[in-house]
Amino acid sequence: METAELKQQLKKQIIEFLNLISVSPDDIKDDEPLFGEGLGLDSIDSIELIVLLGREYGINIQDPKEGRKILVDINTMVAYIEQHRTK
Amino acid sequence: MGRIFITGMGLISAVGRTVAQNREALSGGSCGISSPELVPTKYAGILPCGEIKISTEDLRHQLNATETGTTRTSLFALHAFEEAISDSRLTPGQLTSFDTALIGGSTVGGMCLTDELYRDAQQTRKGSAYINSYDSSAVMMYLQERYKMRGIINTINTACSSSANAILYGARLIKNGLARRAIVGGVDSLAKFTINGFNALHILSASVCTPFDQDRKGLNLGEGAAFLVLEKEEDIVNKKLYAELTSYCNSNDAFHASSLSDEGDGPYLAMKGALDLAGLAPGKIGFINAHGTGTENNDLVESRAMLRLFNRVPPFASTKSNIGHTLGAAGAIEAAYSILNLYHQEIYPGLNCLIPIAQTGLLPVESYKKISLQHVMSNSFGFGGNCTSLVFSKS
Amino acid sequence: MFYIHQTTCISPQQTFGEVNIKVLNQPAGHQLKVIEPTYGGIPPGVLRRMSKAVRTGVGAAIPFFNQSPIPDGIIIGTANAGLEECFHFLKQIVDYNEGLLSPGSFVQSTPNAVAAQIGMLGRNKGYNITHVHLGLAFENAMTDAGMMIKEHPANNYLLGAVDDISLYNHTLNLLAGWFKAEAFAAGELYELNSPGSIAGEGAAMFLVNGNPVNAIAQLQAVGTVHADDVVTIEQQLKHFLHRHLPAGEKIDVLISGENGDNRLQKYYASCEKIMSDEAGILRFKHMCGEYPTASAMALWLACHIFQKNPIPRHMVKKNLPQKEFKNILIYNCYKGAQHSFMLVAPG
Repeated sequence: METAELKQQLKKQIIEFLNLISVSPDDIKDDEPLFGEGLGLDSIDSIELIVLLGREYGINIQDPKEGRKILVDINTMVAYIEQHRTK
Repeated sequence: MGRIFITGMGLISAVGRTVAQNREALSGGSCGISSPELVPTKYAGILPCGEIKISTEDLRHQLNATETGTTRTSLFALHAFEEAISDSRLTPGQLTSFDTALIGGSTVGGMCLTDELYRDAQQTRKGSAYINSYDSSAVMMYLQERYKMRGIINTINTACSSSANAILYGARLIKNGLARRAIVGGVDSLAKFTINGFNALHILSASVCTPFDQDRKGLNLGEGAAFLVLEKEEDIVNKKLYAELTSYCNSNDAFHASSLSDEGDGPYLAMKGALDLAGLAPGKIGFINAHGTGTENNDLVESRAMLRLFNRVPPFASTKSNIGHTLGAAGAIEAAYSILNLYHQEIYPGLNCLIPIAQTGLLPVESYKKISLQHVMSNSFGFGGNCTSLVFSKS
Repeated sequence: MFYIHQTTCISPQQTFGEVNIKVLNQPAGHQLKVIEPTYGGIPPGVLRRMSKAVRTGVGAAIPFFNQSPIPDGIIIGTANAGLEECFHFLKQIVDYNEGLLSPGSFVQSTPNAVAAQIGMLGRNKGYNITHVHLGLAFENAMTDAGMMIKEHPANNYLLGAVDDISLYNHTLNLLAGWFKAEAFAAGELYELNSPGSIAGEGAAMFLVNGNPVNAIAQLQAVGTVHADDVVTIEQQLKHFLHRHLPAGEKIDVLISGENGDNRLQKYYASCEKIMSDEAGILRFKHMCGEYPTASAMALWLACHIFQKNPIPRHMVKKNLPQKEFKNILIYNCYKGAQHSFMLVAPG
């Protein structure tokens, strides 16, 4: 899968998984922080995103602190998925 | 307003099935956290819990609880309730009197039967014997029916501070003249539901918890029940007075669904409010039974809140290192432990804390001590920011 | 006990915003479901995590934080809030065999999620409590509010109740025989003479304090009974009225919790028997269905009546006295085991 396509797919999955009301994939910039400002996600969301990575891409992250380094923005997530996906 | 005293206690936890056994275990620094053998979960052997090593069937038999649909949660409650009313020597007439209230806190309720509940909710024809037992109110309804109680009956659910609020509510019913005495407490049992829930939040420790340690890895779930009998000073004749329930305060952190704010406004306001209601200076508190779950968030925030309120933080410890976090029962069990502190003028060590948290430098009590105590505070904080502090005093 | 100054209600009828209860909305299938507003006051980032009970409870509470006086504490009664999320989480446990689970629904599965979210959005760090004692959850919350006002006479409290229909509680109650299996029109609820009622839901919120000036209504007393024999309940009701009704006064209006379940009719009949011949009788469960905190809807209706609004024909079981009402008695019974009385007077 092309990186651009993967980004688009991931944005859709994030919106659906976190039930982000009235957010469309185009609203999420690739380099916009997911937490704090930007989308305004919180600590529960970071765990939800780890679950998403596990279920959709077969990526197993045990330590939520490790997750924080990956879940910076769409770019960092996609880079990690491309390297570590098992499905 | 008249003063309120505790005249009876009942308690079951992973370190003992009576108040006396619990005291002995705490004094000796025993830990009841082990690999679960009874709760059906695939995390047995991976996530240790404060499990009470008695099967539900044996418990039912021992308590002669033959009613249909009684759950492990109801049976623990019954166990502690029976000890409390017998300890206080309440008469059958007093139990069924219109002015005897029963107030309990529980979060799991009948949901300890996670699998049965799932099956029942999928049924289309016939439910199981537990169909009416899943509500969190089912436990107090069971005790009410079994003892034909006729006063105010209530169940409170403020997550992990549920039974601290049950104690607070019972005391207020008495102070407002809506009850003459109140039997107050809480109960929860281990469940696949809560084990998976807390695990999904990544706050369960794979080893025995280490409250207030710099390297703490999370909490261990536990199970148990405690009930206290609260009576008005003027009604008490020739009874053991364990302690006085002097003060209480319920405040909300109003920050996040599952974690406390950095400044710990909720915990601070609950502790401060409890001091203010009794007109106590912070320096009067001789010991704090901390909430101390062993999670990164709770222990840091609770420590900060204690530093904010107290010039010199009094000796403190978390008994969750002995019995795990018993959720809806925690407030009542820890209230009973605080009362034992006062009644026997002794403090029990907090276990497993080696290095204090760097930001706060606070170290819990390390060993059993005989100590002169006038006032003990017990903290309970829950999801949803529900924070409650209770103050008990030497009678 | 306290005075009621403002109210909101989200129910299956047109009760939120522009109120019109003259038109009777019909059940959809076998259930009376609430009309959900747009929830303009709840930020989307927060709304996305809320289950229906939390949404309706918070939605009904938000207006109180945009106007003076702002509540000093939050006292909620609910038996079911969180159950929908609880079941979502249960399903995950089974579907993924205790594997990788999403924690969001677990966090929202506790009933205190409603009061907690109200506290968070209203930035309220005061008293915050959730009473969950099934069919008396709201009554216990009322008792709590009465005590809080006695303890803090200058304070205002948000008192409310919410319950919703979820797959979980609907199935369990249906299996236990508490809902009729057949579909019917709202108006037929009381005519079917069969066991079971109709599933319902709703949220009602009240700003209460100790100040009589400009109050809508005064809650004079609330009483609760755990019993299933008619004689005990009748005795308790008589005792309640004797204690709280001024000498020589009679009940003008009874709002009865009659719910179409013929097994419970004996309780409502014995309550009606105690009323004087002149007393009018109203019913409301055809409007909101049966749920553990339905009595909060009855209290909202009593307030609505004391605000001099016309009483719709569909509520009337027995004609009302042609005079200004001095009081309203609400009698409700949940599953035959939990009973409550409320005595309400005009403000």
